[in-house]
Amino acid sequence: MTDLFSEDEVISTVTRLTRNRLVRFVEVDLVRPQRADSGTVYRRIDIARIELLCDLSDDLDLDEAALGIVISLIDQLHAARQDLTIMASAIDALPPDIRERIGVGMKQT
Amino acid sequence: MAKGPGVTTDPYAALGLTKSATADEIKKAHRKLVRTSHPDLHPDDKGAEERFKAISAAYDLLKDPDTRARFDAGEIDAQGAERPQRQYYRDFADAPDERYQQGRGFGAGIDPSDLFAEILRNRARAPGRDDFGGGGYAAGGADARYTLDVPFLDAVRGAETRITLPDGQTLAVKIPQGTEDGQTLRLRGKGAPGYGGGPAGDALVTIMVHEHPVFRRVGDDILLTLPITFDEAIMGGKVTVPTIDGPVGLTIPAGASSGRVLRLRGRGVARAGQKTKGDQNVDLKVVVPKEADASLRDFLTEWRKTHAFDPRADLMKGAAT
Repeated sequence: MTDLFSEDEVISTVTRLTRNRLVRFVEVDLVRPQRADSGTVYRRIDIARIELLCDLSDDLDLDEAALGIVISLIDQLHAARQDLTIMASAIDALPPDIRERIGVGMKQT
Repeated sequence: MAKGPGVTTDPYAALGLTKSATADEIKKAHRKLVRTSHPDLHPDDKGAEERFKAISAAYDLLKDPDTRARFDAGEIDAQGAERPQRQYYRDFADAPDERYQQGRGFGAGIDPSDLFAEILRNRARAPGRDDFGGGGYAAGGADARYTLDVPFLDAVRGAETRITLPDGQTLAVKIPQGTEDGQTLRLRGKGAPGYGGGPAGDALVTIMVHEHPVFRRVGDDILLTLPITFDEAIMGGKVTVPTIDGPVGLTIPAGASSGRVLRLRGRGVARAGQKTKGDQNVDLKVVVPKEADASLRDFLTEWRKTHAFDPRADLMKGAAT
């Protein structure tokens, strides 16, 4: 999953993407490619993110401001869910009596 | 084309419409369904991806009046609009070491014993959370917008400058190499301060690039009109040409007419993150002296008698009037 893609490859993969649009995404920090010796390179996650940005702007007519808000909320959601998963699996590994006490504690809050 | 699931159904049904739907209704129905079915907007919805695929395929077919008419006439079937496989952003939601991630997370590098104390401390500080929306009522500051007039060469070559703000403070702005007219730079945290400990907003600086009396920018290329004498045009010669990075020598080939464009490779605009620089295109323009001296006049009078050169021959033929 560490394949890297050049700007041209990204533009041909994401059919709705123009070079201007990609440059703009990077410029306003919606997409953060890596710098490499050969120029700017993109990862699979960047491509998936660009697809999503294109969906949001083309299909839902979001402008740049709204796009920034939505993608930031999605990022925050991902972070929160990741935290939750880590915590849940940590709790799951605890002895049953402690798990039970945590369960009781959660109901009280 | 391979048959995929969900794409062979009636595209109208996929969008919840009938054949009589207007283009506007199709657009509206599609937008509504994207909102409820986009996998990235519904990360827990296992069926979202299938639904979204079917919706997208249906919309691809119906959004273009021509394709829609051909479908209605039975010329193409619904699977013609199948989209290539793609990965959704949510597929990467669990990736560690993620640069888009907001909030510090506690995946890596945190002492587990600090974990709960950290969470509780963050909650107790309300209002004052500055990361993902936990307890408090923190909010980021507003973005501040400025415009900045930039001389042509500063925009092309990159420069550092300062903006003086209304309150007398100054803001350092680094103009990246190759900045275009109308481009907006984002200066993180240089906007209005946040509320309740939230992060400051950003300063958004829109760059207005002045015109240059000599250079013109076309994409990453520079265009320059270079006046040459008629003897340089006929016999060729070496001349000095200004470029955005200083003067360089240019050889004019013999027999160069006005309008001939010579390319100075790599003498155009460099742009951050791009491998190759643009070129400078030199547009030749033959300029004759206002007053020709007697010897030249005599020579040309003789020359004209013995030489029949008609540059307009093709033109007259081509006009065919």
